[in-house]
Amino acid sequence: MSCELMLKERTGIINPMYTCQPAGAQYAGIGVKDCIPLVHGGQGCSMFVRLLFAQHFKENFDIASSSLHESAAVFGGAIRVEEAVETLIARYPHLRIIPIITTCSTETIGDDIEGIIRKVNQKIKENHPDRDVKLVAIHTPSYSGSMVTGYDNAISAMVKALAKKGEPSEKLNIFTGWVNPGDVSEIKHILSEMQVDGNILLDTETFDSPIMPDKSAFAYGNTTIEDIADSANALGSIALSRYEGANAATFLKEKFDVPSIVTPTPIGINNTDIFLKNISELTGKPIPESLVIERGKAIDSIVDLAHMFFANKKVAIFGNPDLVFGLAQFCLECELEPVLLLLGDDNSSYKKDPRLKELEEKTNCDMQIIWNADLWELESRIKNKTIDVDLILGHSKGRYIAIDNDIPMVRVGFPTFDRAGLWKYPVIGYKGAEWLAENIANTIFASMENKHDREWIINVW
Amino acid sequence: MPLKLFCCDECIPERKNHVYIKEEGEDTTDFLPLSNIDTIAGSLSERGCSYCGAKLVIGGVIKDCIQMIHGPVGCAYDTWHTKRYPSDNDNFQLKYIWSSDTKEKHIVFGAEKQLKKAIMEAFQEFPAIKRMFVYTTCTTALIGDNPKAVCREVQEELEDVDIFVVECPGFAGVSQSKGHHELNIGWMRDKIGTLEPEITSEYTINVIGDYNIQGDTYVLQKYLDKMGIQVIAHFTGNVTYDQLRCMHRAKLNVVNCARSAGYIANELKRVYDIPRMDVDTWGFEYVKVALRKIGAFFGLEDKAEEVIAEEVAKYEGKLDWYKERLKGKQICIWTGGPRLWHWTKALEDDLGMEVVAMSSKFGHQEDFEKVIARGRIGTIYIDDGNELEFFEVLDNIHADLIFTGPRVGDLVKKLHIPYINGHAYHNGPYMGFEGAVNMARDMYNAIYSPMWKLAGKDPRETDSPMWSLTEKDSGVVQES
Repeated sequence: MSCELMLKERTGIINPMYTCQPAGAQYAGIGVKDCIPLVHGGQGCSMFVRLLFAQHFKENFDIASSSLHESAAVFGGAIRVEEAVETLIARYPHLRIIPIITTCSTETIGDDIEGIIRKVNQKIKENHPDRDVKLVAIHTPSYSGSMVTGYDNAISAMVKALAKKGEPSEKLNIFTGWVNPGDVSEIKHILSEMQVDGNILLDTETFDSPIMPDKSAFAYGNTTIEDIADSANALGSIALSRYEGANAATFLKEKFDVPSIVTPTPIGINNTDIFLKNISELTGKPIPESLVIERGKAIDSIVDLAHMFFANKKVAIFGNPDLVFGLAQFCLECELEPVLLLLGDDNSSYKKDPRLKELEEKTNCDMQIIWNADLWELESRIKNKTIDVDLILGHSKGRYIAIDNDIPMVRVGFPTFDRAGLWKYPVIGYKGAEWLAENIANTIFASMENKHDREWIINVW
Repeated sequence: MPLKLFCCDECIPERKNHVYIKEEGEDTTDFLPLSNIDTIAGSLSERGCSYCGAKLVIGGVIKDCIQMIHGPVGCAYDTWHTKRYPSDNDNFQLKYIWSSDTKEKHIVFGAEKQLKKAIMEAFQEFPAIKRMFVYTTCTTALIGDNPKAVCREVQEELEDVDIFVVECPGFAGVSQSKGHHELNIGWMRDKIGTLEPEITSEYTINVIGDYNIQGDTYVLQKYLDKMGIQVIAHFTGNVTYDQLRCMHRAKLNVVNCARSAGYIANELKRVYDIPRMDVDTWGFEYVKVALRKIGAFFGLEDKAEEVIAEEVAKYEGKLDWYKERLKGKQICIWTGGPRLWHWTKALEDDLGMEVVAMSSKFGHQEDFEKVIARGRIGTIYIDDGNELEFFEVLDNIHADLIFTGPRVGDLVKKLHIPYINGHAYHNGPYMGFEGAVNMARDMYNAIYSPMWKLAGKDPRETDSPMWSLTEKDSGVVQES
């Protein structure tokens, strides 16, 4: 049994796993209430990303563009930001925060975002004395990192700009990372069972928005400027994602002495146990029986499936790094063999991820981890028959690999547009583990039926 | 009424020049909305970028071609898994996207070597594919990479490949439109006339400006096959790279999307003297006109009438069934531009519907000339509409349905208004006779969905008239 970390050999990308930094920053921005992110760059940098969110959530999210045209690209784009902010403030009376997100074009031409913000702040004071609109600079050049780093940079930038020491809050900061509304619900549920007050950064539960009889509801993020400011006063921070929010937690520790724990993303039973233990340690609250019962229910479900249907099945996993590591750990818990893990960007700190060592110790198979990978890396290995997989866990942009090669695939991560409603369900927590195991089983069952592969076995199990 | 300033636009009064409400007796040439000019920053305009117009809309449709996006990864990711243009070779063009993955060091020191490596790898990984489009994006244009030189080098080294380069950074122009232009003119300059087609019919055409959304091109191809007309190239629905090199040999250019592809039709007229015939391939009655015009050009009137008779016999009854149920319904069209003028009168004539508000993302003045000529009195005509304007429009008019993109559809559903995907359709194709029926069916199903009545009902208000309404009209509640 071995665990090997390798860099993709090709230079170019065929079928990218992640998109670029500004998209991740936009994702962070839409999680904030009364916020319209302003993307400083060409118009595609925001329109395509708005479409991407609509693909995943089936909802609209407001994001503005500075509409960089040719003259600004040549002579500088400062005026476009100034005009955009003025237009946004004048037309959106509820607007309270505008993250100003750079792109490859405006990083290349070197627009001075901080300088622009200073100037625009002055103008807001003069033109809108009754308004308090925060402008936050977010530097996200697309030619480094990925949407994952962009999300992390945006959360960090907003916390750095807004966190403010005041009265202790007795709350626990939870940096969720790039998760679904269903995961946020699960986090809130766990905190509520433990009688802990959470400050969820960012609270995207409200992305799941109703159609109301009076036509009043729309999808929005629910973390307020006050919540972010108050993160400085928490009794502790837990970051559920090493690559998506942990830097903000570290900042709060260094600047405001808020104790911080980066917990392994709570996917699977053991990682959720660690999460609960960490909440308990930071708050002094015991783990209640209700969660022990939930845990037992999840284990009960998984036991029905693991050695009967999952054992020795080979799995390829791709997606955001914390998700991939977490899913691999989960696979090992339920006897699946995660033979190939794909991480989609060139973040060399993956080498130092403690989960790598844990996977190495626990693995039940020869495991390859490719970083800076694209989805062609997966497809070409399957087509060349250099690997053989029974199951794929990943997002919908990998769907044709599964379809064309007739491999069952469970959609996880972002985006999952080719199945309905997945963003409403958790993959984290005990409930998430149960949901994952049962979805994997049901997907395998459907595939057995389609292929007439011992489909008669699915009777008394 | 002359041009209109929306309340939400009071702080950007220049928007007044982009919105027209048509009134009886007006000289509409006095009120043509300004169009194809700079976007107002921060307005939440619907516009996209020039790169999108080149790659996603036109080039990416080609079915046997590597699409190499020279730049950071986002532009490639963002134009993948978003389109619905199938092909008869198992949708190669939908499954793959390529990026040269430029990083900071390339931005500083130049990305040409990176591009070349990525191109060589792409051909190596897909040995059966010998054709490639290369697109520049914002950064690789700014740093002044010379992708044409790189591609010349590659073509010398790999003798059996052919590469076309489009310089289409997202900031060029003001919208997708510039990318259309760049690709059209570049293709004409670099590739047309570099290959000779096999001519199999005395009647040859190019179908220009149709991108096979949900199989539109197949429908048109079927009619033309029946008429014995050879299509040298579809620009660019279900087409191969090499077919597009042969466009100079057609006797006629039949243009549907005059916005995105009128350029190449004009150039083919100028250089090769091929006449340009503009038609509408959406709309039941319009398609008859189109087939008759094409038939008349070649002296194939009888063949055209045969196709029309056959199709009418198959579909007219169905269309009339929907007409009964759709007449008088009021709808909006918020799309790119051309579908406004293709659809407004067609929906009125074929189905008795009223198009009451239209918005174009990137249309030019000629698109507004067309739509205002064909459109109704009292209708609102908007250039580069933005989100708050859309809300205000919906406050001021009644809309039974909106043709628009899925994200805006997700927004207006909260207002209990159904949408049909005006870009990529719900259940297409929408072109041709059968397409007109498909479109009518989707509109009917959207408007008459029982969900809208349920959405308007507040279950707490037990004495609301909505209770009996729901029972009676939709049959959701069983008879007691």
